[in-house]
Amino acid sequence: MNPTSSISGLIPGARLAGLALTAEQTRIEVIGQNIANARTTRTSAGGPYQRQQVRFLDAIRMSQSGSNPVAAPGWQVVKDPRPPVMVHQEGHPDADATGMVAYPAINIHEEMADLMIANRAYEANLSVIRNGRALAQQALSIGRR
Amino acid sequence: MIAPIDNTAGLSPALAAVLAERPLAVPPASVSQAAGPSGTAFGSMLGDLIKDVDARQTQAADSFSGMLQGKEVPLHQVMLQAEEASVSFQLMLEVRNKLMDGYQELMRMHQ
Repeated sequence: MNPTSSISGLIPGARLAGLALTAEQTRIEVIGQNIANARTTRTSAGGPYQRQQVRFLDAIRMSQSGSNPVAAPGWQVVKDPRPPVMVHQEGHPDADATGMVAYPAINIHEEMADLMIANRAYEANLSVIRNGRALAQQALSIGRR
Repeated sequence: MIAPIDNTAGLSPALAAVLAERPLAVPPASVSQAAGPSGTAFGSMLGDLIKDVDARQTQAADSFSGMLQGKEVPLHQVMLQAEEASVSFQLMLEVRNKLMDGYQELMRMHQ
């Protein structure tokens, strides 16, 4: 974040946890996108909306040399390969010749469970930062009388 | 009780002068210019620290205003920068307090 700075790592683990927070934020946004598009039958790419999910990569880690974490994005947004759900709905503007409409294969309960997991993961990373801040302040108190 | 000090070789010239019960060769204002063991002037090191703390404060303020202006800055990143700036300021304050303590201790010995 700030490579020109001479002092770094003031709050233990904060930078790494910050990257993880960004990754979790992306996951929460992707889940929100899935919920928002649960009934989208037509996209600009053609066909129904395809469910997306976030795959975390190992890029969120400490660098080999020291405590500066690797700043590369540690996640990837990938498409869910599950086929769309076909619903018989004659008269729908996106119905095919037999009256079947392709809806995205999105299960709202699955999305809510994922959202809860992402929330907890975000909170866990926040705890790491809070802990690091408390440690930094205690370390500063060494010099006090 | 403080043990008597025989060897003043490793100490900074100002401190050695005080320990030898000689008057200070340098006025107190230039104490911070004395060279440390590594050869780096302590004064310039302190200046670097202050500049660094200032840069962090500016960076945190920039992130804050950037977020308020609608730029896509993640909230946690802004708060992290603000917190790092705060901790680095506290670090600077502790260094300053230590320096003042040391200076006052020296002046007390000089009386």
